[in-house]
Amino acid sequence: MNELLVLILEPLKALYAQMSAFLPNMLAMLIIILVGIATARIMSALTLKTLKAVKFDSWSDRMGVTSMMRKGDLWAKPSDATAAFLFWLLIVVAVLTGLSALHIRVVDSMIAEVLLYLPKIVSAILIVVIGYIVTGLIARGLLISLVNGGFRFAKQFARAARLLLIVLIAAMALEQLQVAPGVVVAAFSIVFGGIVFALAIAFGLAGVDTAKRMLEQQEEKKQETAARDMQHI
Amino acid sequence: MSDFFQTGIITTLHALGRPSLDRLESELREYAQARPVGLVLPALYSEFEGPAMPKIAAELAKVKYLNEIVLVLDKASEKEFERTRHFLSGIQTEVKVIHNDGRRIGEIYDTLDRNKLSVGQRGKGRSAWLAYGYILARGRSQVIALHDCDIVSYSRELLARLCYPVVNPNLDYVFCKGFYSRVTNKMHGRVTRLLLTPLVRSLQQLAGPHRFLLFLDSFRYALSGEFCMSIDLARVNRIPWDWGLEVGSLAEVYRNYSPRRVCQVDIAATYEHKHQALSAGDPEKGLMKMTIDICKSIFRTLASEGVVFSEGMFKSLSVAYLRNAEDSIMKYEADAAINGLDFDRHEEAQAVDAFTAAISQAARVFMDNPLGTPLIPNWNRVISAIPDILEMLRRAVDEDNK
Repeated sequence: MNELLVLILEPLKALYAQMSAFLPNMLAMLIIILVGIATARIMSALTLKTLKAVKFDSWSDRMGVTSMMRKGDLWAKPSDATAAFLFWLLIVVAVLTGLSALHIRVVDSMIAEVLLYLPKIVSAILIVVIGYIVTGLIARGLLISLVNGGFRFAKQFARAARLLLIVLIAAMALEQLQVAPGVVVAAFSIVFGGIVFALAIAFGLAGVDTAKRMLEQQEEKKQETAARDMQHI
Repeated sequence: MSDFFQTGIITTLHALGRPSLDRLESELREYAQARPVGLVLPALYSEFEGPAMPKIAAELAKVKYLNEIVLVLDKASEKEFERTRHFLSGIQTEVKVIHNDGRRIGEIYDTLDRNKLSVGQRGKGRSAWLAYGYILARGRSQVIALHDCDIVSYSRELLARLCYPVVNPNLDYVFCKGFYSRVTNKMHGRVTRLLLTPLVRSLQQLAGPHRFLLFLDSFRYALSGEFCMSIDLARVNRIPWDWGLEVGSLAEVYRNYSPRRVCQVDIAATYEHKHQALSAGDPEKGLMKMTIDICKSIFRTLASEGVVFSEGMFKSLSVAYLRNAEDSIMKYEADAAINGLDFDRHEEAQAVDAFTAAISQAARVFMDNPLGTPLIPNWNRVISAIPDILEMLRRAVDEDNK
């Protein structure tokens, strides 16, 4: 009878011992997550207030960030979206930190990998956002200068330049995320190189006369300037 | 049948004889290849539940020269928006419905608002302006036609006649306003008959033969909601969002184009739509609100043309208007008598009294704040503030219509 009792109690004791060791970790995890949620809320609210104070939404409207969001069918205000992104980022960090308090080896290694990957996600997003703004500015500047210069296909040229730059930025972001980096670099090189090569061939074959004329005009201008300089002497 | 008399400084295109609709439409089909036409319909969901919109949709289904139809739907829930899309699915021409109360369009309004671009309150003016923006964003139409959605007596001839002067490259008008008679068993159109015409003529007596007043007086139905215009006008025109919409739009046309490129066309023998109550005691409602807004719009336009308004001038204006309006009542009474129409002289006199009060009210508002009349900024101005706004608008409408 005693033996039977021991047989029943032993696993229960072991379970109790395991639970006693695990429960404080569990409690620590819950506290970390709860504090994390509170912090995320506060940080998100502060960010939202700050962004509104500096008129981030209007700036985004003018710089094309809002337009980029709309292209992705995202119809929140840029400040709301940024605050929401920060909130969920902090929640992810809090959950991961909380899980690490459990001291489970598999979870720990997974968390380490995710935490190492997070900065790459943030920098990829920054590359896309800043890149999109810069491409917009370059394309607009190019369009204005080409239109002022009387270039016939100014709009198409500016659009093509913007497309090329967006391809470049997408490749940079994907490379940053380490998504099949070899394939991305190879694909980008092929696409970008192909486009440039196609343009070179197109100009070389169809624009020989134009190129010749441009070079001749430049040469004539040089000679005229040289002749004027001689007269002054 | 109409006469052929040309009134004022713009061209009047009459309905002479029995013009063939088939010929008109076949010519329009040909011309519209070079000058594609977009039709703008500002509508309330309630209009789909009445008799007007089903008839309009049935008629539009037979029209083959339109490039696109943009219907701006106001006061509609998500379900009602879907029902409207389904309702219009029988029309062959590509139809896009702008859901004014939708989340995406709401965000477009928010974007404009936070960039200090006031587009005013909801109404026909704001709806029409938004539709122009969408047509500009798509870049597929060269001509925009617009008509109301409460026309019970609608026929596609109205649309064909409205579009023809602007679409036909040989005529080359940039703006065409529709006119029609508003007669059933009695004469309607009180605001045009008893307010606008006597007011404009009184102003001419006081301010002299001003060219804008001549321009306004040239229109046989200046307050009609039907017009057709070149796409360039949609880009540069600033329009009021309140009841001053029609007069304000004419003022912008006058400012931007020579009257030689403006015409009016007889679009319908009869025209029947919903009638507004007079609401003489409430300046915030019905015809009184409309009257005050129209007067403010005229005063503001004249002031911007250099006409100086003073307390004394407004006092004289009230008296001159009252005399002119009373003379008009007598003319219309005679017109009604010879045509066997009902004519309630007392009701007409009451309307004139209410309009006189409205002119004084509008004068007070104008003197307090001459810049107060609301104008929606033109699309060029909006694009300069938010370069991607048209792209955002296009995406919002296209996503809603998926």
